[in-house]
Amino acid sequence: MVQQQPLLEGRNVTKYFGGLAAVHHVDFAVYPGEIVGLVGPNGSGKTTLFNCLSRILPINEGEIYFKGKNITHAKPYQVAHMGLARTFQVIRVYRKMTVLQNMLISRQWRGEGILKMLRPSSKATHERARQLLDFLLLGHLMHEPAGHLSGGQRRLLEIGMALMPDPDIILLDEATSGINPTLIETIKDRIRQLNRQEGKTFLLIEHNIDFISDLCSRVYVLDFGEKLAEGTPEEIKNNPAVIEAYFGAE
Amino acid sequence: MRTRRLETIFSSRNTFIGWIILLILLALYPQVTELSGIRLLQLTQIFIFITLASNWNLIGGMTGYVDFGHAVFFGVGAFVMGILVTQVQNYIVFAPGLSFWQALPIAGLAAMLFALLIGLPTLRLKGPYFSIAMLGTFVAMREIVRVLKDFTGGGRGLDLPPVLNRERDYYFMLVWMGLVLIAIWWIHRSEFGQSLMAIREDEVGAEMRGINTTKHKIIAFMLAAFSTGIIGGFWAFQNTYIDPDVVFIEQRTVEMVMASMLGGLGTVWGPPLGALILYVLQDVVWSRVPEGHLVVLGVLLIIIVLFVPEGILGTFKNPSSTSLGRLLRGYREEQPRPETVATE
Repeated sequence: MVQQQPLLEGRNVTKYFGGLAAVHHVDFAVYPGEIVGLVGPNGSGKTTLFNCLSRILPINEGEIYFKGKNITHAKPYQVAHMGLARTFQVIRVYRKMTVLQNMLISRQWRGEGILKMLRPSSKATHERARQLLDFLLLGHLMHEPAGHLSGGQRRLLEIGMALMPDPDIILLDEATSGINPTLIETIKDRIRQLNRQEGKTFLLIEHNIDFISDLCSRVYVLDFGEKLAEGTPEEIKNNPAVIEAYFGAE
Repeated sequence: MRTRRLETIFSSRNTFIGWIILLILLALYPQVTELSGIRLLQLTQIFIFITLASNWNLIGGMTGYVDFGHAVFFGVGAFVMGILVTQVQNYIVFAPGLSFWQALPIAGLAAMLFALLIGLPTLRLKGPYFSIAMLGTFVAMREIVRVLKDFTGGGRGLDLPPVLNRERDYYFMLVWMGLVLIAIWWIHRSEFGQSLMAIREDEVGAEMRGINTTKHKIIAFMLAAFSTGIIGGFWAFQNTYIDPDVVFIEQRTVEMVMASMLGGLGTVWGPPLGALILYVLQDVVWSRVPEGHLVVLGVLLIIIVLFVPEGILGTFKNPSSTSLGRLLRGYREEQPRPETVATE
């Protein structure tokens, strides 16, 4: 296999909260077209790492590269302009705006001038929003306020919002949390489709091991902020250190 | 059903057309009727009130940054107007005082520049911290103006040339109000306006979705300040006298906030409606209980927050969110909550 340049890479990423190392000297790489999992017990630093990668949190040590460019000091909107999108552990949709408005406002921003921003959303943006909503089975709810959706529908909407700008990589933070099994299958199916048909790269935080096993080619395991293991889902499932981290020593 | 009809009536496009017709009627009004000077002055004050509330709504309602010191831009506009009209010739040899029309855009631009300088640090703050910082800016500016006696006249203030022309004032404010309302209507339906509302709802989420939130907030703040500065400048010229205590009054900001809340925060037509109702109410209360009218307004503010927190238009749009809306809709508690209506 020809070694490609990583799409997203962290080198020695470290984040402290006071004296606590939430993420400690973590190295990782995600290559174009991959679906990579990030697992670990609660409090192991997964979401903190996501927040560092998407530049919501500054890091204390290390470097982050996206498409070969150093984004260690970039702002979140700049990273988004470059093609990195994400969802959140606690769903962040604009509850008072309609589902369609949520999608439209998540379109591809590229730092336009004020005059260009003063136009209403274009027809092409509307069309993309409608297509994605249909794809995510939310087309019939497009005029509902997002606050009226169920938890699962909001998760789907958030995924749709992440897809709106046609990003290169999507970071999904516990996309199946609190979702019924039928909808989990829908989400899984949509991720697979986007990966295979459009070549989208995904980095997933997940507690649902079956979900990870079905989708991911590689998995990173974090524990106490440090990288505990890395490998295929099968390797990870049988890794004694991972088993100990999850279930404790015998 | 009844609420649905009201929602349709208050849809943005219908209301826009309604306002345009109203503006035309207001333009014709002084020509077809014999209006007294005091009536023209009252109507001009209503236009000022409406425009100030709409300006505040841009940053406080649409963007969600509750600005408790917005009247500072009114004060900056007023004093820049006063200085340019009366003081320039004292400092620049052979330079006569500027005319109203020359000084007015400078007053607006000065307020806008001041908003940029103040907004860069304060708009980094969130929630009550921003509100208090702006209140502090407002109070500090009043004292600065008082101290800079050579320019501002200090506590004694400045006398502007007495040019009494009520009709000109009326038409000026009518046109400015019309322009501001059209601009706000346009902004509301634009991607810029939608992004301001996204910032209001979730700033971190908006930033992560590619919106340069700092830039958007600063632009909204500057636009609001420009219009408020213009009104401050106009008001100074109309009033013919300004001093820190008549220009920098907290009540002006409180009125902007109340009008916006009463009409509907973040809506286009709510603040004008709220301002109109509040002005009439203030007038009635003032004429009957002059010594207690602020108490009445305080009680009104409490009632708004408790029963119609989304304002009049907000209540029509989302009746289930307020006590009044549920009453209007005949909403029963045993009905399913909206969250559970949608199925997975």
